[in-house]
Amino acid sequence: MDILSPTSLDEVRDIIRNCLSDETSLSLRGAGTKSSLGNPVVADAQMQLSGMSGIITYEPEELILVARAGTELTEIEALLEAHNQMLSFEPFHPEILYGGTSSGTIGGMVGAGLSGPRRIASGGVRDYLLGFNAVSGRGDIFQSGSRVMKNVTGYDLSKLMAGSFGTLAIMDEITIKVLPAPETSVSLVVSCSDLASAQAACSQAFASAHEPTAACILPRDIAANVNLGGDAFAAIIRLEGVEVSVANRLTEMQNLLGPIGELHSLTQELSANLWRQVRDAAFFNETHEQIWKLSVAPTACVGIVNKIKTSIDASYFMDWAGGLIWLAGAGERLGADIRDVMASNGGGHATLMRASDDRRQNISVFQPQAPALMSLHTRIRRAFDPKQLLNPGRMGA
Amino acid sequence: MSVPAADQDILARRSEIAKGLKSIIPNHLVIDDDSSMRAFDADGLSAYRQMPLLVVLPETTEQVAAILKWCQTEQVKVVPRGAGTSLSGGATPLGDGILLGLGKFNKILEVDYDNRCVVAQPGVTNLGITHEVQDDGFYYAPDPSSQIACSIGGNVAENSGGVHCLKYGLTTNNLLGIEMVTMDGEILRIGGKHLDAGDLDVLGVMTGSEGLLGVVTEVTVRILRKPATQRAMLVGFDTVQEAGTAVSSVIAAGIIPAGMEMMDGPAINAAEDFAAAGYPRDADALLIIELDGPEVEVDALLERVEAIMKSEGATSIRVSTSEEERNQFWAGRKSAFPAVGRISPDYLCMDGTIPRKALPEMLTRMAGMSQKYGLRVANVFHAGDGNLHPLILFDANAPGEWERAEAFGADILRNCVALGGVLTGEHGVGIEKRDLMGEMFSEDDLKQQQRVKCAFDPDHLLNPGKVFPVLHRCAELGRLHVHKGQMPHPELPRF
Repeated sequence: MDILSPTSLDEVRDIIRNCLSDETSLSLRGAGTKSSLGNPVVADAQMQLSGMSGIITYEPEELILVARAGTELTEIEALLEAHNQMLSFEPFHPEILYGGTSSGTIGGMVGAGLSGPRRIASGGVRDYLLGFNAVSGRGDIFQSGSRVMKNVTGYDLSKLMAGSFGTLAIMDEITIKVLPAPETSVSLVVSCSDLASAQAACSQAFASAHEPTAACILPRDIAANVNLGGDAFAAIIRLEGVEVSVANRLTEMQNLLGPIGELHSLTQELSANLWRQVRDAAFFNETHEQIWKLSVAPTACVGIVNKIKTSIDASYFMDWAGGLIWLAGAGERLGADIRDVMASNGGGHATLMRASDDRRQNISVFQPQAPALMSLHTRIRRAFDPKQLLNPGRMGA
Repeated sequence: MSVPAADQDILARRSEIAKGLKSIIPNHLVIDDDSSMRAFDADGLSAYRQMPLLVVLPETTEQVAAILKWCQTEQVKVVPRGAGTSLSGGATPLGDGILLGLGKFNKILEVDYDNRCVVAQPGVTNLGITHEVQDDGFYYAPDPSSQIACSIGGNVAENSGGVHCLKYGLTTNNLLGIEMVTMDGEILRIGGKHLDAGDLDVLGVMTGSEGLLGVVTEVTVRILRKPATQRAMLVGFDTVQEAGTAVSSVIAAGIIPAGMEMMDGPAINAAEDFAAAGYPRDADALLIIELDGPEVEVDALLERVEAIMKSEGATSIRVSTSEEERNQFWAGRKSAFPAVGRISPDYLCMDGTIPRKALPEMLTRMAGMSQKYGLRVANVFHAGDGNLHPLILFDANAPGEWERAEAFGADILRNCVALGGVLTGEHGVGIEKRDLMGEMFSEDDLKQQQRVKCAFDPDHLLNPGKVFPVLHRCAELGRLHVHKGQMPHPELPRF
């Protein structure tokens, strides 16, 4: 297969115009870390984007960073850390789920739109992508958004790019809003007798004025594996910020959640390690045939998981106070069953995060949308890529 | 700024169109007499007035769908309207289009504290959502200054902000789901109580689309627990430059206040005359910095911010010691517009955003422009996020002043773009900034945006004449020009 390795947006445009004339479809590749996420792509050639890399601008006082799409995520995270700043949405790192040693590129991060634990408190990738420039599947260079925090000029195409899996356009310069990193971080573990009380602990934490920045739920087996309490569900609440405030809020949170179950807190280091595991779904391993991610109303997770567990042998844990269910299992019916149960429990969407090509060929990796909405999505894709040249089929028609 | 010429065929069909609409929705929901329609002839950009062809006030989503579908079939234009508070002309009527008012969609449908969200109809006011949940200690964060009147559906259309979006984000960051109707009458549900929608982020592109892509008929928004403490600090400076540097220093110190506002000398004095908020009249720049959160945190951060202000040369510092005093600090800022209205017969409020570091340069340029156009300007800023609200003072009855004010405003926005900023931070493009879009976007940029429009509304029937300076037909936008054999880089390696 041809591999095209442009180094500039002009070269990308020229390639796309060539591809348009001979209808050559392209699979897009940054570091290739998430190439097995999404519906399998069959394309005539591959465009390798790692040649378009480098941090262009970083202005800590302006809270912005501009990097080219092929820049390694770890390079950006290291730079921010050196300035006590961060990508607030805690982007998913793919090594554990998909293998390899790279954490992927910033372009791949935006394309996949996968956000970590802080998503529920302060937004996801979509909320921090301020602007970009790109080449559409029409072979036109265009830009959208800006480098400032507050902008409503024209349609917010950044939102469409985040999570579009390279099906709309090929980005070059990506502008991201960054935030100061919290001075300190602790986690409170609440040992709960069942899933419902663990979820209730998370909801209570977020309904309080104590400003948690993350809340996850680990079932008995996983909680035991990571030494978080004996035979109990663990609801884990993270508190971050100025030291005196965190200490104060930890006490308040202990008072609030004490009635639900036994409490203990994690040191900064254990806490950081745990949230990385939650972010990357590190509790699952190679033996799991399929790994699913369900986005649901937080309180709905209890009914959904309990229902699924009655008929399926599945392993699971939750992030986002219960609103994000990670679920691992096996079998041809698993996906359909998950989506059925979800639909009858308030709805949401389920994505098949990891499975063999074969399996992904036979089920829609992304949540099927209602027909009218599906048709709108197709029209939007065609508005950017009328000949379906870019990552054809990876995400819907 | 011109409003597109009305389609004479549509005007001639007016009574037939009224009859057609009355055949699909109850008669009393179709308003066709001039005196009743008068209430809808302008939005917050009241310099532009235009009687709509007809007004329809549907009560259900199904009625909205039926109206849009009928208008699509009959090729009649539609302008959606929430509370009509847009400052950019987002809801300015079209003479040959029906005005679709969503005022009857005024109910809160569900409050869900466990999932921290409220489901509401789009005509509910922004503040109405907070009122519904405040007794239980919650609130809805985005707080545009028109929040007492503006509708939540309009907030979605405009991606409204406010003084607290530095920390809490704009509408787009606080919206979880919508029900919407497209021009062809399809009812779509996107998102809900869960996060993200699992395919392209249509919710994201709908937010801030200024009523051009669809009509929102229900929203699900995130509510937050009210912070335990809120305190504000008033800081005076001798120069706006020093105040601007002080703002950057706070951010550089890793502190994101809930709000960080700046006013210049003319704005300080106008506000003080009007509200007696206790502002230092001798200061050339005033910062209002609000911190919120747990009491110990607010105390700790206030100390740090105060130290920064002192080292940046503050001439006066006052910290609110009671809720009453905090509200008093804000009273001046929040009444800045009416206050300026007292010192000038008319004013034009602009809304650009610039990188914070460009603030001193922008103010220098603004002083020059003020001289050039011979008009005074008072400045209030959301300084934390670089969003400027220059108020250009003029007298509409003085010959030529309105034109000069408009030219001055356009010049300010051009300078915002030149300094790395944007035309509008929160008020929207509408008709007001439509003809300036070319300052920020290339023809290709605008065409790509319009192709998105075509995916939703291929006949350009929904709110046409807004946002885009030139309307290209969708068939033309969809055409592909394939330049085989004429590539600029035919030698490009393919290996």
